[in-house]
Amino acid sequence: MEEKITLEDMFRELETLTEQMEDPDITLEQSFDLYNRGMELLKKCNESIDSVEKKVLVLDESGETHEF
Amino acid sequence: MKNAYTVKQVNSYIKNMFTQDFMLSRIYVKGEVSNCKYHTSGHIYFSLKDESGTIACVMFAGSRQGLSFRLEEGQQVIVFGSVSVYERSGQYQLYAREIVRDGLGALYERFEALKNELAEMGMFAPEYKQPIPRYIRTLGVVTAPTGAAVRDIINIAARRNPFVQIILYPAQVQGEGASDSIVRGIRMLEQKKTDVIIIGRGGGSIEDLWAFNEENVARAVFECSVPVISAVGHETDTTISDYVADLRAPTPSAAAELAVYDIREVYEKLSGCRRMLCDRITRTIADKRSKAEHMRVRLRYAHPRQKLRENRQYAAELENKLRMLMENRLDRDRHRLALYIEKMKGLSPLEKLSHGYSYVTTEDGVNVRRVSQAKAGARLRIYVQDGSYPAVVADEDK
Repeated sequence: MEEKITLEDMFRELETLTEQMEDPDITLEQSFDLYNRGMELLKKCNESIDSVEKKVLVLDESGETHEF
Repeated sequence: MKNAYTVKQVNSYIKNMFTQDFMLSRIYVKGEVSNCKYHTSGHIYFSLKDESGTIACVMFAGSRQGLSFRLEEGQQVIVFGSVSVYERSGQYQLYAREIVRDGLGALYERFEALKNELAEMGMFAPEYKQPIPRYIRTLGVVTAPTGAAVRDIINIAARRNPFVQIILYPAQVQGEGASDSIVRGIRMLEQKKTDVIIIGRGGGSIEDLWAFNEENVARAVFECSVPVISAVGHETDTTISDYVADLRAPTPSAAAELAVYDIREVYEKLSGCRRMLCDRITRTIADKRSKAEHMRVRLRYAHPRQKLRENRQYAAELENKLRMLMENRLDRDRHRLALYIEKMKGLSPLEKLSHGYSYVTTEDGVNVRRVSQAKAGARLRIYVQDGSYPAVVADEDK
């Protein structure tokens, strides 16, 4: 677990980002930038969900793990 | 053989002996519960036993207020009541009026003392509680490797999110050495840096749960840098580790629900965000496009050619109007003229001349109406129907 979980942060950023996109005075360029950033975030969210089913591991006294 | 007694006589004699015995009428007996049966009538039948033997016991439904827990096999209890004879079977038994758990008083005292001590040290204070991360990837579990608790946790975690890695530390959760085993589990999982640790076990008696009331477990939970969820026993059981933990779950199943987020919710949220983003960008584009169209229309109206055309049209309109006004005016004058001509015709002196009158003017063209206007010798002109001729005044009447 080197990488810190940022799913929560990413959701928060997506939230503010869509709010900004609702502003009718926003320029088209800004809107595209926000959209691209949002799509990038969504990709990262999906990547951060490591979607491989995990087997339960058992920790023994020496600190080694093996399957349950 | 003359002095033979009936069964009834013997039994009632013995019963009477018991009844008169001061000790047996108010007695505390301690032992282990066995053969416990709750009868539908509300009476409880059981035996008390120790290494040496057993004694039959009964608690009548009418005495049930003297029992505040469910009597179960193997419990160490102290029964207060009286010993007497059941004549029908000729057996003596203990008639229970009150039953308390043996040794529990001391345990409760220890529990309260430790709880107060740790509370005073601030170990239950909310400011030390670490938040449980919303989206975890690894979950540490300290519990017995067999039994309902571990099964419930694994099942619920896998159902909610099979992508979370569970690392189980198979701990001894009751009996000698249990608290040390739990402490070791917490420390080792902390080293593994799991995102959350659940410690717990299924329901049991207060003795069974006791390891979770030990000070070393409380300290290990308090010092653990990884957030700890404590889930010991059933909803009604509360242990010291529940107070110290960052979060208390009523049961191991509930702990798994609190620790592991539901992957379906996240997928839904993600697709919601995607929809929203697409929606927003499409709306912005449509918005900008309609603004551009609006501008294009406005610009076209502002073009000089358009202006010129408008001016030309205006000029033409003005010309038409002018012409019309002029014509109206002329018509009106023409009409007036015609009227004048008619009028003049009626007034013309020439009309009168045609009836034989003549018209006389002086040399200057002034109509002669009075004698005084012309002296003798004055030159006049006489107009008749078809012309005129000059004349001279011959004389004057005197």
